[in-house]
Amino acid sequence: MAMRDLVTGGAACAVPGTASSSNPLGAFANAILGSSSKAQEIKGLPGAAVNVPGPSSDFRTEAPLTTLPGLENEGQQHQQPYGQNSEFLSGFRSADHGVLGDAWNEVHQPPLHIRGGDTEARFQEFEQIYNRGVPPTWDGPPQGVLSRFLHSFVDSGRAGVPFRPAALPVLGLSEGDKQCIRDRSFIMAHHIFADKNEEYINAQVNALLHSLDIDGNQRLKGPMRGSYPELEEYWTESQVALRPGMPNFADKWVSEFSQQRESGDPEAWARSFEQQHGVNGWASEFEQEHSQLASIDQMSGANMYQIAAMEQSRMLANTLAQNTDPKFQNSKFLQFVSKMSRGELIVDENQIKPATSSLTDDWANEYQGQYNAGPSYWADQFANEELSRGKDKWVNEFVKENQQQGSDDQWVNEFSKLHVQDWTDEFGKQVAEGAFGESTADDWANAYDKYLDEQLFTSKKRSNASRGVYEFSDMNPYVGHPNPLREGQELFRKGLLSEAVLALEAEVLKNPDNAEGWRLLGITHAENDDDQQAIAAMMRAQEVDPTNLEVLLALGVSHTNELEQPEALKYLYSWLQNHPKYGALAPPELADSPYYADVARLFNEAAQMSPDDADVHIVLGVLYNLSREYDRAIESFQTALKLKPRDYSLWNKLGATQANSIQSADAILAYQQALDLKPNYVRAWANMGISYANQGLYEESIRYYVRALAMNPKADSAWQYLKISLSCASRNDMFEACDTRNLDILQKEFPL
Amino acid sequence: MESSLKSAALLEQMKVHLSTDAGKELTKKIGLVYQLNIAPKKIGVEEEIFVVDLKEGKVTKGAYAGKPDATFSFTDKDFLSIATGKMNPQIAFIRGAMKIKGSIIAAQKFTPDIFPKPSKL
Repeated sequence: MAMRDLVTGGAACAVPGTASSSNPLGAFANAILGSSSKAQEIKGLPGAAVNVPGPSSDFRTEAPLTTLPGLENEGQQHQQPYGQNSEFLSGFRSADHGVLGDAWNEVHQPPLHIRGGDTEARFQEFEQIYNRGVPPTWDGPPQGVLSRFLHSFVDSGRAGVPFRPAALPVLGLSEGDKQCIRDRSFIMAHHIFADKNEEYINAQVNALLHSLDIDGNQRLKGPMRGSYPELEEYWTESQVALRPGMPNFADKWVSEFSQQRESGDPEAWARSFEQQHGVNGWASEFEQEHSQLASIDQMSGANMYQIAAMEQSRMLANTLAQNTDPKFQNSKFLQFVSKMSRGELIVDENQIKPATSSLTDDWANEYQGQYNAGPSYWADQFANEELSRGKDKWVNEFVKENQQQGSDDQWVNEFSKLHVQDWTDEFGKQVAEGAFGESTADDWANAYDKYLDEQLFTSKKRSNASRGVYEFSDMNPYVGHPNPLREGQELFRKGLLSEAVLALEAEVLKNPDNAEGWRLLGITHAENDDDQQAIAAMMRAQEVDPTNLEVLLALGVSHTNELEQPEALKYLYSWLQNHPKYGALAPPELADSPYYADVARLFNEAAQMSPDDADVHIVLGVLYNLSREYDRAIESFQTALKLKPRDYSLWNKLGATQANSIQSADAILAYQQALDLKPNYVRAWANMGISYANQGLYEESIRYYVRALAMNPKADSAWQYLKISLSCASRNDMFEACDTRNLDILQKEFPL
Repeated sequence: MESSLKSAALLEQMKVHLSTDAGKELTKKIGLVYQLNIAPKKIGVEEEIFVVDLKEGKVTKGAYAGKPDATFSFTDKDFLSIATGKMNPQIAFIRGAMKIKGSIIAAQKFTPDIFPKPSKL
């Protein structure tokens, strides 16, 4: 197959506003040929003069009319449709050998520009030639012939084959018809051949127009006006023709044409072309990207952040690329940075993931794919001088595009506020000064490798929970259970917390307004050491039952754990307000933004009112944790424990408070009490691990973290802490097991 | 309640932590002074400055009198993510979520294990 076809492939239609064909190789061809026709140019009609083909004795007129170009007559398809000198034509005879050079020449060798006054004469000459060889297939009503003929033009464009003129019967086109076809052909050709240069497009259109006996030089006489009744008639007819009963006219081309006409928007034509002929995903994604870039000035927040991160990494990649240490050049770290800079990886919250829908999207991947596959492939295919030239062009193209993106004012202004330059400079300088040394550069890179793997592994998880949105488990065997609430309560009582979560999720899926279902789900998550999910569930419970004291306390506790003081204070105050006994103490005007000191004072009053109410002391203990008055907090919890000695969560609260005030030995005793009462209390196991770790007893801490994780593999913070302890205990050999969350290995290695 | 930052809770814990055996081990091992510029929402805006002095084993509020080995700027949330191992410091750096001034070598020793972990009620 000829290289031309290889290169331009099937649907050679590019999206408006891009210089790229929908076909990756076509894009390559684009770059190599440097023929980035910009669709913007066609906002007005092209201003270039049309080249009217000159006569040539060698000119082929046999164009078979049933056999459209690009179909079976492949061997002939590179014959030049328009008059050139014979040397040029003979050059094309060899096109079917499939040498790139032909493709190159074909596109780049400018068609002969024939100007001058003898155009009319030449036309007549052509007409004679055509008329001699009128094939019977162009018979039929003029409109039918015209329609098929125009269609063949589109087909040849799609097939990436130069269009060959045909000898047509006299169609009796009026001047208006001609102008219309002339103008629209140029618009259309710029879409069909968006990846070709101007000369090629002009040549193609000329071939078409010439067959129709239309003088290309007379185009651009202003827009079509209503003073061409015949034309109106033609359009009317062609649209009528679209209706059933007139099969001859059911012509895509015409309908596309008329759609375009109706909308008055040249690009509409290209869109309908896409719809009808199908464009591969790349093109449409590119368009999407394009529109995103177009609206770049509306960008803010996260999106802006992504771009900034991309730009930062791009600059960093540039800096790093100047470091010639091959070890560094091959490091995954650098690859990572460049991936970020190309937008293939994006950072969402604290997670890194492959880009899915934003910015450069698959476009970047596609581009990179070509880039990766490219060099060797090209080298094999075309070991000639064009390669290097084309490659450079391509790179330039890419760079140019980047610059175009970057030159958006808003973007630059916004971006410069982030002072990216500062830190990349700083970083680059120190790298250049050898700050990393031999080994640390590796450490640095390795840290990325690991973190990246880890992040990609967990990237699908968890991003909503932090925003208070409950995240349901994917596979839930309890869905469809006749009484999931009772099942959940039973599992919770048995201490099978992760199972209880599933049953309770099934319950709240079935009965979203079951406050008890949500409450118990929240409690279970808290005991399972997952405060974010606990908060999300408790918020749902509170929606249904806004005055439930247990829910309010649980929300206060979880927010305290997340160090979210204002939220915690709000819920704890709400607890007081809604308490049947102490509600009167709480002035409602304080509810909106309670001051810590006021809340603490009111709770102390409540505690004086009923010193035997353990709950008041519990809330006080939480409040003192918020203000980091740990001694008072410990005192409050101890008072409460005298009243409720079998409350395992209270023992844990005491332990955690002691741990946070660095009384780790006491804390471990308290946790032990909690675990005696509730052996599967994941939170207490994890807290044990923390206490050991904070004392520098990393090996011990690992065992407790692993134990907690064996019971709840979803406890993300425990995984993070485990990783830190492994590192501190110099157990880097277990990193992989940790990163892949392989509990079997970890439990075997660290039994308790 | 002198600070509205979540990080203040952790730094308070750090302060006490440095007086424990584990904390003293830390100062011996690292022996560097870090200045943390922690912003509530946006780096550089309304920053609160803390010094984690792992030479002397102290945590103080306000800028360091002298030249810290490394100065970090981040938001409250990102600092917590780093200190609890949720976010890798290098990732934070790449993202621009953490800015570093001073020695990169010193900065590399700024890892999550130097901070005590908060226990959960």
